[in-house]
Amino acid sequence: MFDGMTRRARRGMLREWRLHTLSVFSLAVAFVCLGAALLVVANLRAIEERWAHAGRFSVYLKDQATQPDIDLVKSALTKVPGVTEVRYVSSGQARAEFGMSEGAAKSDLAALPVEAFPASIEVLVRPDMPDADIAEITGKLKVLPAIEDVETYQAWTERLSRLVRGGVAAASLLAIVVFASVLAVVGSTIRLALQRRRTEVEVLKLVGATDVFVKGPFLLEGSAQGAMGAVGAVVLLGLLFAIVRGRLDGELVTLIGLEPTFLPWPVAIGMIAVGAFLGMAAAALGLRKLVTV
Amino acid sequence: MFEDVYKSYRAGVPVLRGMNLIIERGEFVFITGPSGSGKSTLLRLLYRAERVDQGRILFMGRDVARLRDESVPFLRRNIGVVFQDFKIVSSWSVYENVAITLEVLGLPTRLIKARVGEVLERVGLTGRGGDVAGVLSGGEQQRVALARAIVGEPALILADEPTGNLDPQLALDILGLFDEIHESGTTVLFATHDRTLLEVRPRRLIVLDEGKAMDVPNGVSTPPDEDYDNQLPL
Ligand SMILES: Nc1ncnc2c1ncn2[C@@H]1O[C@H](COP(=O)(O)OP(=O)(O)O)[C@@H](O)[C@H]1O
Ligand SMILES: [Mg+2]
Repeated sequence: MFDGMTRRARRGMLREWRLHTLSVFSLAVAFVCLGAALLVVANLRAIEERWAHAGRFSVYLKDQATQPDIDLVKSALTKVPGVTEVRYVSSGQARAEFGMSEGAAKSDLAALPVEAFPASIEVLVRPDMPDADIAEITGKLKVLPAIEDVETYQAWTERLSRLVRGGVAAASLLAIVVFASVLAVVGSTIRLALQRRRTEVEVLKLVGATDVFVKGPFLLEGSAQGAMGAVGAVVLLGLLFAIVRGRLDGELVTLIGLEPTFLPWPVAIGMIAVGAFLGMAAAALGLRKLVTV
Repeated sequence: MFEDVYKSYRAGVPVLRGMNLIIERGEFVFITGPSGSGKSTLLRLLYRAERVDQGRILFMGRDVARLRDESVPFLRRNIGVVFQDFKIVSSWSVYENVAITLEVLGLPTRLIKARVGEVLERVGLTGRGGDVAGVLSGGEQQRVALARAIVGEPALILADEPTGNLDPQLALDILGLFDEIHESGTTVLFATHDRTLLEVRPRRLIVLDEGKAMDVPNGVSTPPDEDYDNQLPL
């Protein structure tokens, strides 16, 4: 029986291929919007994750700080539980390191004076160290006379978090809109298909087909449309992603310190599953008032 | 079969008013009456396309009027229906149109092929299984519809003016097919107002009028005189 159902569904879709193609295309467009939003959120998340677990802070030293001052701070920091590494970076080294990571822009930066890069003590801490503990240490450090400032990257992380939360909210809103449009598109396509196959449905009911038998092919068609729309969107998005990454790769990576990632597979597959499910739900809604013989 | 059946589509305009009618297994019954007298309604009540307002309709020991909706498909598997407008799917092949009855039952494809082949032969459409149903002539389309109705070997065949869209000779041919089906033991309820069909040979004739059913003596022996015309309000 399931065999016959898929056969009738396939036949229905082939016979009305224009209608179904149009529907799948509009669904793909809707899903591309959603996928793009998810892609942005996923990448922001990855960046946030990276910076949240930075597990480091920088202690910037005043220019007039002497070697004994520096040694004192270093030895004090080494004794703090949770601190894994303390390293002094002179301003000369700082410039060299920055130039190295900046790659192509090296020549411009080389022209900057040495003073632009203050000497610092780079402190690595265990990634699971509570923020409060770090704040306590940095608070104590800031009042020392040899220290100019302490950078914990905390503000940076918080701004990123806010951005991610905003992105998630926007994506959720978009998801609702997209889901509603999937319901509307598939629902009306199925109603139209039902209209065109009215005689077929009448005949089926006349010869004693159960509701499941009559509705099955339409439900399959709806869910196939939803899934195909989502697959189309993932493919399209992959293409766009490849193009964009190909153009921006070097600059992007140094800017955010991370390779841009495509939608994680569970998300892509989830989108297809949601498409299939919504398509079926829309078909079921469209069939509620199935013609009665 | 019918016991005190009332049916109205609109309040105050009853179509059937306390209709009583008993049809035995294996009978061939003509149902006639003026247009709008409720012939189609009577048939639709039988295969539960409509529900009665009051009364009972007994078929195969069950009250059709009180079947749960889920049971209706199983009722219809025991009833074959043929309409004036054929109601075949014109984009399907002849074979598909007939086979659907058996596909619904979930029979294996091999058996379906064999049974559809036999039935197409019975209705005179041997070898036409592959043709697209929509391009057939009216008479041929009605044969397809008839094949679809009988291929499941139902206990009862309902025909709602099946010859209404066909010219007289084709109508007689189709009636001949119904006769053959009847001879193989199937009960046939044939609604028509085509007098030439009624006169082919003596048969039980029921006239619907004023929402009631009346048995009317009928047969080729009855001369088609004025008296006969008065009895048949056609
Ligand atoms: N679905 C319907 N809704 C409202 N009135 C209907 C419907 N079907 C039939 N009727 C009315 O019921 C009466 C009987 O119709 P019908 O059974 O089709 O008669 P017949 O087949 O003898 O011509 C007619 O007056 C018709 O207008
Ligand atoms: Mg009628």
